[in-house]
Amino acid sequence: MSESFAVDIDGVSKSFGAFKALNGVTVRVRQGEIYGLLGPNGAGKTTLIRLVCGLLEAHAGTVTVLGQRMPNVGVLRHIGYMTQQAALYPAISVEENVRFFAAINGAEEGVKEALELVQLWERRGSVVATLSGGMRQRCSLACALVHRPQLLLLDEPTVGIDPQLRVQFWEYFRRLAAGGTTLIVSSHVMDEADRCQRLGLIQYGRLLAEGTPADIRAQGGSQNLEAAFLALAGRTES
Amino acid sequence: MSGHRVRAITRRLLEGFRRDRRTLALLFVAPIVILSLLGYLIRGSSTAPEVGIANEDSGPIGGMVADSLHQSSRIKTTDITASDGDAKLKDGSIVAYIVLPADFTQQVGQGNIAPEVHLEGSQPGEDAPVLQALQQSMISIAGRGNIHFAPKVDYLYGGPEYDTLDYFGAAFVGLIVFFLVFVITIVSFLNERSQGTLERLMASPLRRGEIVLGYMLGFTVIALVQAVEVLVFALAVLRIQNHGNVFLIFGMEALMVVAAVNLGIFLSMFARSEFQAVQFIPLVIVPQFLLSGILFPVSSEPQALQYVSNVLPLTYAVNGMRDIMVKGADLTWPSLQLDLAVVAAFGILLIAAGTATLRRRLA
Repeated sequence: MSESFAVDIDGVSKSFGAFKALNGVTVRVRQGEIYGLLGPNGAGKTTLIRLVCGLLEAHAGTVTVLGQRMPNVGVLRHIGYMTQQAALYPAISVEENVRFFAAINGAEEGVKEALELVQLWERRGSVVATLSGGMRQRCSLACALVHRPQLLLLDEPTVGIDPQLRVQFWEYFRRLAAGGTTLIVSSHVMDEADRCQRLGLIQYGRLLAEGTPADIRAQGGSQNLEAAFLALAGRTES
Repeated sequence: MSGHRVRAITRRLLEGFRRDRRTLALLFVAPIVILSLLGYLIRGSSTAPEVGIANEDSGPIGGMVADSLHQSSRIKTTDITASDGDAKLKDGSIVAYIVLPADFTQQVGQGNIAPEVHLEGSQPGEDAPVLQALQQSMISIAGRGNIHFAPKVDYLYGGPEYDTLDYFGAAFVGLIVFFLVFVITIVSFLNERSQGTLERLMASPLRRGEIVLGYMLGFTVIALVQAVEVLVFALAVLRIQNHGNVFLIFGMEALMVVAAVNLGIFLSMFARSEFQAVQFIPLVIVPQFLLSGILFPVSSEPQALQYVSNVLPLTYAVNGMRDIMVKGADLTWPSLQLDLAVVAAFGILLIAAGTATLRRRLA
């Protein structure tokens, strides 16, 4: 059945030494869906994203992305990955950064469109080191989506950016999903979670609950998503 | 392996250099400063050591020796009396004094030439010119009886004009490029890791070999421009002797650049921060500088150190550079073939090592 899912994470465990970062996690994401990975810092969100893009290999379980078992270099062309910190080359310009990531993915024709999408076309000549934090995040996003990936992995994309820009980002994400792109967005900000179509709550390397924001509210027995999350998290601890 | 992706990495590196004035200054100004300093240090007019002459000889020969000493270019002489000598040595106004005793002529007549030499002694380098000047003046005594002392000197390499700068210069031309490129590579590859872009590269279709190759090409382009600059400065401005083919020198430099870039990539795997990377620099540079035969010929080292020297790639590089520039070696020389082969093999080994370790310690 894995063909019908853009991402199929099946019973995955991953340890770093004695530390179990992920413990039997199963997550399935449909094509064109915005899937939110929620959880506190250190819950295992980044590890899960790294497994999906093949940077890490699972000790147990399987990760299948766009029909291919990971790690698989061939699939990487269809994945866009925005790392937690805005990982960019500070000494070169915005356009040079985006053009570089386009070139290594063999898609240089998308540079202008990506920069326009994040509203940096006017600032394309600016050296990244001189940009504000929010602009860097936008540039980083442009680098992740310049090659029009089928799957976009966004690791806490809105950390450190102002509310206005956050709204803009989610606007982009919805547009991309409507165009058929699958998005996995990690966050520990609850008001972002409401914008996802489905959520997975992760804590201590385990998937605590999964479903639409409404499902999560029902499971946690609260109208407030944050309260619902805390209720669900507390239930497993006790 | 995609040429397109390799080119993308190379282009990105060069774009970064274009705006990074400080790094460019390090790469293109530092070599000139180092070479100029070396040239001036060795060839700039050196002050000859001050030597006191106390001629107390009652006969004629003491005067002849003293005249000869006065004319020597190796030392600067002043006439003193023997009793002042020790005081002058102590206050530092002279580094040595020579006493020609009252019975000097008489003693020479008996076949016993015995000038007294008093040396300050704390500066080893200053003794030699004093003794050399004295020896020459002794020859002037020999010339007294129609004996002409004129050895015919023939040089296999070098020649009368060949000096210390020629000897060091040949090695430094290669060394400067090697070390500066190594430093730049280790730091910029580490940046790639610490700013998180390496993680992005690893999650892209780039293969490890493409990353290493792209880096290698980018830095090689920069380093070859630097190598040309260093070579032109050394030959045209410092006028370091060169009896070899300039293209061969350049070829050796290119091989050293490839080795330096890949050494930088490889060692950056073992550093977690720029601070740690900087600690590798003396660790890599100082032992190689001391043991590769730049300052002391490998054959004069203690046996145990010779074993170490013989596995250092820089030993072969330095030897090769000197063979080319000083001895005019060409590709038919087996020793140069060995030197080139060892440096090239080391470069290839490091490319493999850098590529193999790239995957690890990503996060």
